[in-house]
Amino acid sequence: MWLIYKKEILEMLRDKRTLIFSILLPTLIFPVIFFFIGKFTMDKTKEAQEKEINIAFVNTVAMPGLEDLFTKEKGFHKKSLESDDFESAILDKKVDYILEVPEGNGLPALVRKQQQINLYYKGSSRLNNILTSRVNKVMEAFNNAQRRQLGDAYNLSNDNVKAFNKPVEVERKNFASKREKTGEMVGPMTAYILILLAVAGAMYPALEIGVGEKERGTLETLLLTPMRKSHIVLAKFAVIFTTSFLSVAVTLLSYLFWTYIFTMGGKALNLDFLSNISSFDILLVGVLLIPLTSIFASIMLCASIYAKNMKEAQAYMSPIMMMGFLPVIVAFVPGMELNWKTAMIPVTNVALAMKDLIKGTVDYGLIGVLLISTLAIAGGMLYFATQFFKKEKVLFRS
Amino acid sequence: MIELKNLAKTFAYDKKEAKARQKKVIKDPREGEGVFHAVKNVSFSVEPGKVLGLLGPNGAGKTTTLRMLSTALQPTAGQILINGKDITKDPLYATKQIGFLSGKTGLYHRLTVQENVEYFGRMHGLSKDELAKRVEQIFSMLDMHSFAGKRADDLSTGMSQRASIARAVIHNPKVLVFDEPTTGLDVISAKTVLDFIESYRGTDMSVIFSTHHLHEVEQLCDHVCLIDLGESKFNGTTQEFAELSDKGDLYSAFLNVVNLKEVA
Repeated sequence: MWLIYKKEILEMLRDKRTLIFSILLPTLIFPVIFFFIGKFTMDKTKEAQEKEINIAFVNTVAMPGLEDLFTKEKGFHKKSLESDDFESAILDKKVDYILEVPEGNGLPALVRKQQQINLYYKGSSRLNNILTSRVNKVMEAFNNAQRRQLGDAYNLSNDNVKAFNKPVEVERKNFASKREKTGEMVGPMTAYILILLAVAGAMYPALEIGVGEKERGTLETLLLTPMRKSHIVLAKFAVIFTTSFLSVAVTLLSYLFWTYIFTMGGKALNLDFLSNISSFDILLVGVLLIPLTSIFASIMLCASIYAKNMKEAQAYMSPIMMMGFLPVIVAFVPGMELNWKTAMIPVTNVALAMKDLIKGTVDYGLIGVLLISTLAIAGGMLYFATQFFKKEKVLFRS
Repeated sequence: MIELKNLAKTFAYDKKEAKARQKKVIKDPREGEGVFHAVKNVSFSVEPGKVLGLLGPNGAGKTTTLRMLSTALQPTAGQILINGKDITKDPLYATKQIGFLSGKTGLYHRLTVQENVEYFGRMHGLSKDELAKRVEQIFSMLDMHSFAGKRADDLSTGMSQRASIARAVIHNPKVLVFDEPTTGLDVISAKTVLDFIESYRGTDMSVIFSTHHLHEVEQLCDHVCLIDLGESKFNGTTQEFAELSDKGDLYSAFLNVVNLKEVA
């Protein structure tokens, strides 16, 4: 047994692919990738922590010192409101937060009982969470000051004690819809699953009709027919694309079906937000996957045709899959949003757009930009695949 | 008639390959600076109704020559003429004129024999009627009706080889190329292939038959072309080839031409 074990290990160590995938990837490449993703995440978090927050104050004269705490804090910018429509002001992004002291409320240290402050904002992303935590930090500073003043007082009643412990009860009114909040969690998951399906759906047919044909000897037979090489590769691409897209399309159709079933259960199942996702949005998710699936189909076809045998082809598939997932991970780093820049990054842009479609916050103009950029890349990849397939060195690589 | 004139094929190495080649202890004389002259100068011709045996040791350049002939590879220099037309300039014409079978070319395993053959017939542009007629003709000739509906992965080696032959000749080519078609076959399966080649003697088809089995050459071939180190070293009748050795047999003649001593 030991003899066989030693011989197998020796052979594996002499296989460059084993060395790359078993040793080089986990010891060097993965840490480098994780380092860059970690650094990227930290940079984005820092960016969110330093982002200027536009805050408006309503009736804060009733609580002297509260407004000063915010305006003295770095990164807060005082804005005045043009109307009493708080919701529009926030949704139109005129301000990020509105702090309102309701009529009849004053400083807890003077009134000696708990007071209320209303905080209006829109929070449905991790970026919002970071911003809100900064607002909470200032509010906590205000509460601490009030506690100190209350501690000096004598004859504390129950209300006084309550006020001492928690001088201000902040009642949060988040204008983000349930769909937005749930979509923030469901969106990334949906993007992961659909992109995984698109990649996995392309892999098997790519192996089968690329290197599989090479191994069985049918590729050479095919090349001896009057069919043009570009037509052969386009047909093969179409097969991989169809299979890959079909798995995604079936998932989306099944989603529509189950949405209908679940929404019949409605509030009882707490899934009524699903009914807000329109068929058009689901259709757009499908449309987004067309160029993405094309990119994966072209890359996998090239890798499969290039490989000498099935083992080599499978070795190429793992990094391709990883290269497919890394941009998805990057897409869900806090602070990453679909904008003109990110709409140009392949895979990341589709993942971000899917999240926004599920949340119902998508900018349809950006979807157009995204589609144009991804289709351009998909077209480029397909052209590369047709040229690659014409190379004798690739077809008869041995 | 098919003619190959001064055919050559050079492959360029990439940097990695060139480095690996430099380390080799035994070097091939065909290796140049960053290039490999797989075929340097090969010429032969085959008239209709004749069978040419293409001989040569492993790595001599036979398969590369046949791949150029089948248009899978583009020659670096030289001409391939079928009935006077240079097929290197019109590869699509060549694919219609040539039928190719090697020991390595396969069938689509999940298709039946009939589906496999018909698929290639359609690829060659045969009409529905032409195809049906041709399938019937070939299946009768090769006695394939009994397994026409079987999936290719259920076939025996002999059946599979017959199906491959049918696939190669479905478009009624004028030149038939067989690249080691009996390699790995048992005696009965090999006989099927050899009988099939034999049946084309005296017809309007030219047959090129590459093999390592000299008894097959003796049995089938009118002419012989021996390739060694990418060059044709002999062109002539099978009889003339045998006479190159004192013993008058193909085996000794082969060893003489490739400059090897006969093992006692």
